[in-house]
Amino acid sequence: MTSSLIALETFVGFRWLPADYWDLSIPVYLYLAVVAGGAYLAGASAWFRRTLGGGGGRLEPELIRWGFLIAVVSAAGAGLAVMSHLAVVYRALLFPIYLTNFSSWITIGTWILVILSVIATLCLVLALFGEDAADAGDGDGRSLWPRAVVAKVGVLPTVDRLVDRVRPPTGALVALHAVGVLFAVATIYTGFELAIVETVPLWNEPVIVPALFLTSGVAAGVGLTLAVTLLFEREIGRLAGGYAVAVGVLSGVSLLIAGIGWGEVAAGGMAATASYSALTEGTLAIGVLVVALGLAVALVVGVVLGAAAALGRLPEPVERVGGPLLIGSFGLLTVSGLVMRILFLLAAEQHPVVVVA
Amino acid sequence: MSEQWMFYFDPNRCIGCHACSIACNQRHDRDADEDDWRTVTHLERGEYPDFQELPVSMSCMHCHDAPCEQVCPPDAIVKREEDGLVTVNRDRCIGCHYCAWACPYGAPTYDDEGLMSKCNMCLGEGPGSGHGKPPKQKPEDGGLKPSCVDNCVGEAIKAGPVSEVMAEASETAARRFENGAYNSRVIVEPMDEDSAAGMDDVADASIDANDEGAAAVPAGGSDADGGASDWLNG
Ligand code: SF4
Ligand code: SF4
Ligand code: SF4
Repeated sequence: MTSSLIALETFVGFRWLPADYWDLSIPVYLYLAVVAGGAYLAGASAWFRRTLGGGGGRLEPELIRWGFLIAVVSAAGAGLAVMSHLAVVYRALLFPIYLTNFSSWITIGTWILVILSVIATLCLVLALFGEDAADAGDGDGRSLWPRAVVAKVGVLPTVDRLVDRVRPPTGALVALHAVGVLFAVATIYTGFELAIVETVPLWNEPVIVPALFLTSGVAAGVGLTLAVTLLFEREIGRLAGGYAVAVGVLSGVSLLIAGIGWGEVAAGGMAATASYSALTEGTLAIGVLVVALGLAVALVVGVVLGAAAALGRLPEPVERVGGPLLIGSFGLLTVSGLVMRILFLLAAEQHPVVVVA
Repeated sequence: MSEQWMFYFDPNRCIGCHACSIACNQRHDRDADEDDWRTVTHLERGEYPDFQELPVSMSCMHCHDAPCEQVCPPDAIVKREEDGLVTVNRDRCIGCHYCAWACPYGAPTYDDEGLMSKCNMCLGEGPGSGHGKPPKQKPEDGGLKPSCVDNCVGEAIKAGPVSEVMAEASETAARRFENGAYNSRVIVEPMDEDSAAGMDDVADASIDANDEGAAAVPAGGSDADGGASDWLNG
């Protein structure tokens, strides 16, 4: 060993950076954006099935309505959450003028979220109003919330007529819903917003983090849509079973990706080790358990119960508890997705500045 | 781009007195009670009588690759062509704090308005004042000498165009900088003459923070590879 190497060992210090620049509104934003994508996918897939596949079942219109509605509400919630964190909200609202750096994932994400919100709103309005919707419910379909709100105001027939007048031809509708699907999948950007941050090893996983954010968020979005639908449609038919399997598989894939990421963090450098300790030793460990439980329960219940329902082999006693079981497990899945993102924030540690003297 | 300005730090000459950070606060009307744009951290090791302390003075490094600029959504952060300084246009900042995550040195700070401000190499006075200013001039050409440099009692901090700072640095420090040490963001003197001489053999030596407690290993000094920001290797 040369004298210089001995000298190098005489003092090694680390200056840790604060790593607390974001509050809880950011994980809420990151989560709701991709939940909106998942719910949109649930609604759009039911719409494609009904429009192109000739599916005339009772469940499709419900999935369409709740899927698009949850997508709109989640996207709006994501927007409000992120704006609550910003110092100058009006500049964010004027994003076409101010957000000019298209190599920043916040800029890219803003456009994705806004376009998804607009498309989801259009799809919701087109699904909710018009002659078809009026025929679907009792009487003039006023029982279909939120048609009921418009009916209370007393303008339901006018709105129905107006929507039918501007309703595009089927080809254009297919294009609209297909573009929406692309933007729903593009909510993977929420993962990239973290994954490009090189100073935080817990986040700086360009494949694992975006993939995990997409699969877990879409699972929650589809699961939430199905859960809300089943609250009103107790019967678990073949279609509901198919959706439940999809949620279960997505939850399983999320669990797998999270497991791979967990191994990477455990074997990482100093900041990764600090994140790992925070996730395993403190109160955050409870959150890790909630996430693992939420994904595992959704995997088992979704796949087992869903496959049985999809194949039409659900035993009668199970059928009675099947709805509440699915609603409960997908509710837990929804909570665990948010907890996961909160953990990503609270366990984030930046590389320390290394001092060797 | 004309020549980039940069900082130089000599830990052998720093006595940890905070004159630099206080001078910075005064010039830019920052809160006098705490370090802000420039910080002095006292790193400690061991216990008496085997106690060691190393003061480290840091600010924005005006990085040649400016990771903060790359993530800033409204292009509020500008890496200037004319002098390489990284300035902030607070009339565009939305206060998203993304730059703080991207910065390897914890340089961005946020005031009560929630807007970002940081060292502007004393291009102007106060937050955001450096933005849009003419190119940085040396004091002999009528430019404002950086207050931290001006007030450093031990001449531990220097700033200027790269070639001039390199000319004032020791041969070892300059060579290590050229070889990519500290990601070529700052020039730092080795700790003492003995180690400086020895450093010829291990020009890019750095600690590998992936291997806590390990001895120094030769490395490229990259943040991404090393798992840490190599600031001082002496
Ligand atoms: S030190 Fe930080 S704030 Fe300064 S230029 Fe580099 S990344 Fe940006
Ligand atoms: S806080 Fe301001 S300067 Fe920093 S990234 Fe956001 S908009 Fe840019
Ligand atoms: S150059 Fe000026 S702004 Fe920057 S740390 Fe020194 S005194 Fe502060």
